[in-house]
Amino acid sequence: MTTVVIQEARARDMVGIFTQMPDASTAAPSSGESAEAALAFLAEMSPDLRGAAILGPEGEVLAATGEEPGRWREDAAALFAAADAAEGVPVEQVHIATEQGEVFAIRNAGLAAISVTDRFALASLMLFDMRSTLRQLAQGGK
Amino acid sequence: MTPPKPHRILLDRVSVYADEAAAFMRRRRVARRPFARLYYPHGRSADHAEDSRSGAELFVAAGRLIEVAGKRGKG
Repeated sequence: MTTVVIQEARARDMVGIFTQMPDASTAAPSSGESAEAALAFLAEMSPDLRGAAILGPEGEVLAATGEEPGRWREDAAALFAAADAAEGVPVEQVHIATEQGEVFAIRNAGLAAISVTDRFALASLMLFDMRSTLRQLAQGGK
Repeated sequence: MTPPKPHRILLDRVSVYADEAAAFMRRRRVARRPFARLYYPHGRSADHAEDSRSGAELFVAAGRLIEVAGKRGKG
């Protein structure tokens, strides 16, 4: 189907989007294991969380909830692409509230995290938790 | 007439604050509409309306992520 082809092409073209990190520092290589642990910790701290993913500098999925890491990669790339295109400047954080749930995305220390929560999650706490999770992960998961 | 006991005053005060907080949360739920907010370095933020081009793209992308995350289940 044409739509599928377009989506694949978009995802392929947008891989480099994650290299436009506003934070000057780059992440230390994070193992999938430490990313999984960080994600589990984030889920534990955030009772409203439905699902989340942690992405590496190239947009690769380091850890994700559910069984579709490929979709997290594609859809996160699409979100960051739309957000960066809004004003032509790379964004640091994204918060979108819809009737179906809320989406948070953040770039920090060369990594990116995406979270989906129930409606009316406390945005400042969610973004704080995500930022500190990424920071710890970039420091080697200590 | 004897004045109320100190612990009674404290309890009343706490329950007033709890009522206020509950009312605030109710108002917040009713008043809050969908929005897309982007944050840039140095603390700047910008809202994008759902009917704008950039806003529509953001809502579509968010909708896909909500779909991936599913209804519930953290693992």
